[in-house]
Amino acid sequence: MSIPKLEFPPFHLPPEAEALREEVRGFLKATLPGIKTEDRFASWNTPSPDFSRALGKRGWIGITWPKRYGGSERSFLDRYVVTEELLGNSAPAGSHWVADRQSGPLLLRFGSEEQRQAVLPRITKGECYFSIGMSEPDSGSDLASVRTRAEPVPGGFRVNGTKVWTSGAHRNHYCIALVRTSGQHGDRHKGLSQILVDLKTPGVTIRPIINLAGRHDWNEVTFSDAFIPESCLIGNEGDGWLQVTSELAFERSGPERFLQNFYVLRELVRVLGRQPAKRAASVLGRLIARLWTLRQMSVAVAGMMQGGKSPAIEASLVKDLGTIYQQDLPEIARVLAESDATTEDDLADFLDIAQYATMMAPSYTIQGGTTQVLRGIVARGLGLR
Amino acid sequence: MDRETRDMLLETADRFFTERCGRDVVNGVEKGVWPADFWMEIEEMGLPLIAVAEERGGAGGTLADMLAILRLAGAHAVPVPLAETALANLLVSAAGGSAAAGPGTVALGATTLAGNRLGGTVARVPFASVVQRFVTVATAPDGPKVVVVAAGNATITNTPSHAGEPCGTVSFDNATCEFVGASPVGVERAYELGALMRAMQMAGAADKVLATVVEYCKQRAQFGRPISTFQAIQQMLAELASCVAATIASAEAAARDADEGGLADGGSFSIAAAKSQASDFAQRIAAIAHQSMGAMGFTHEHILHHYTRRLWVWRRDFGSETFWGEKIGTAYAKAGPQALWSALSASRYAA
Repeated sequence: MSIPKLEFPPFHLPPEAEALREEVRGFLKATLPGIKTEDRFASWNTPSPDFSRALGKRGWIGITWPKRYGGSERSFLDRYVVTEELLGNSAPAGSHWVADRQSGPLLLRFGSEEQRQAVLPRITKGECYFSIGMSEPDSGSDLASVRTRAEPVPGGFRVNGTKVWTSGAHRNHYCIALVRTSGQHGDRHKGLSQILVDLKTPGVTIRPIINLAGRHDWNEVTFSDAFIPESCLIGNEGDGWLQVTSELAFERSGPERFLQNFYVLRELVRVLGRQPAKRAASVLGRLIARLWTLRQMSVAVAGMMQGGKSPAIEASLVKDLGTIYQQDLPEIARVLAESDATTEDDLADFLDIAQYATMMAPSYTIQGGTTQVLRGIVARGLGLR
Repeated sequence: MDRETRDMLLETADRFFTERCGRDVVNGVEKGVWPADFWMEIEEMGLPLIAVAEERGGAGGTLADMLAILRLAGAHAVPVPLAETALANLLVSAAGGSAAAGPGTVALGATTLAGNRLGGTVARVPFASVVQRFVTVATAPDGPKVVVVAAGNATITNTPSHAGEPCGTVSFDNATCEFVGASPVGVERAYELGALMRAMQMAGAADKVLATVVEYCKQRAQFGRPISTFQAIQQMLAELASCVAATIASAEAAARDADEGGLADGGSFSIAAAKSQASDFAQRIAAIAHQSMGAMGFTHEHILHHYTRRLWVWRRDFGSETFWGEKIGTAYAKAGPQALWSALSASRYAA
């Protein structure tokens, strides 16, 4: 039979990464108590410039990047540990999150020296934040259909169009936008480029899009004859598609795919008390086993990537399973708490937490590639299409 | 054994199982035909002795080597007590005894040793009616003992499993013992090793289910095209792949942790989590597989049930997700919310 073997070779994070974990824990123990509990629940969706600056001071943002850009030249696995400690301890990592995970690595790989010098050192200090300008009103899963146009003019581009679901644009400094720089709308992958946009550029208007939980994370970013200098083109004209596809791979199997609402599990343990009944213990234990499995899979993928492999299907499977686990968690926890919480007061608090988690849950299987698109990728990997 | 030797052994065993463990053998066992030749060949390859030290006549492999073979056996629905005999031999040799030829099994439950006689009843002992001996870890006044009892000295009630394999209740009534040795593992640990063995077999079976279903959907044409080209089917099979992947990943991680941590208590938490996870996903795997294959997969003629029925039986063997979930949940609740993340990230039971 010719289907590819699904393998997740068990992997140990190396001792230096585990030593770093202890350092990060010590830092978080000292830093987190000053931060409001409700802010901590959204973790990488909660911005806190103070926290990001403190983390940057420790050298833990852009940790893998070259020292000449302010990085620490540590391994990808060290970054993995920092990330999972931030999430496991519900740290407000939202300000620097995208810059650290996605935009910085993109500029390191494709950006010009000028672009790197301009932003990377500030990112590593926890002072410079990024948004992703991919989606548009008519382009969600089908990114190649973007309509935002960057028309070449002397010295740069004149940009017109609209980006949506642009997280943090109202408080971030830059956005990396996927735009059409040549050809026609129907040309699909050809003629797309990415540009580095200073969000204060004249002609760039940012309007809030409030989500169903009442939070203002998203924005609509409109370009009306905005002039973007030529020096802000990332890589070669026409390489935009190559860039976004490699960028999406960065974000598929990381710990944020199963630890985003870890607080629900932790609060569930609290509300069930130290001696839950057999059935409650069993349901709790099964949830813990699921999360443990996801972590083993994610660490295995990280190990394969560190070893120079590109386990694309395996990474997609981690996101698929992890996001569905995160959607199941608040529901299973809510029902269990209703029958097994130790006190009425604890229960009321917990149900509020679970309700909030439930309202956030639909986003997990949409952002970074919907479950259905991911499953299409997996199906291709299985040789079905 | 080193990686290369193990890979060679696995390759040889895979070919051997492919050639000699066809549907006729599996179906034959369900009809009550013991495949004596097949078992002889398994012994000739030394598979039941894989984790027995060389000086005791074994292959000198590790627990991880043994588990890798058992995963493969799961992928071929090997309908003889290879896993059980391998574990029995491992326990006996670790307790200072010598591994014997012939099929054996583990009877893990409440058994007690008094004056070198064994007492107790163990339900759902795999392959009880076809083995030559039972191996158990019994409680005794001076610590747990590995005990071997000849099949003739036990009372066996044969109740074939829902997977069509021999299985039954075994009673030891003041039974004479062939061997008694101080056990390197406690009663609960022996049960854990049974769970680990099943988790790896389930990983193999799950893998085979995925391969079988993918192949079928690529061949089967309806509405003028292979059904694998329909998005509805693609989405189902991708979900199936995710459940299979989780089963494999958790079992392999537990096997690694058990092997590295040592026979006495290595990977306790990981084993519990892996068996819980494998048992949890068994139903989803079977459900998607059967839905994808329609009526054909529901027939006795097709081989799919060799694997789905085993998944359904194995998820119950040596503790279901309810059993292992309770163990994990109880320990983590006792340790409290602040210990949750540190225990989870260290893959261990919370203190």
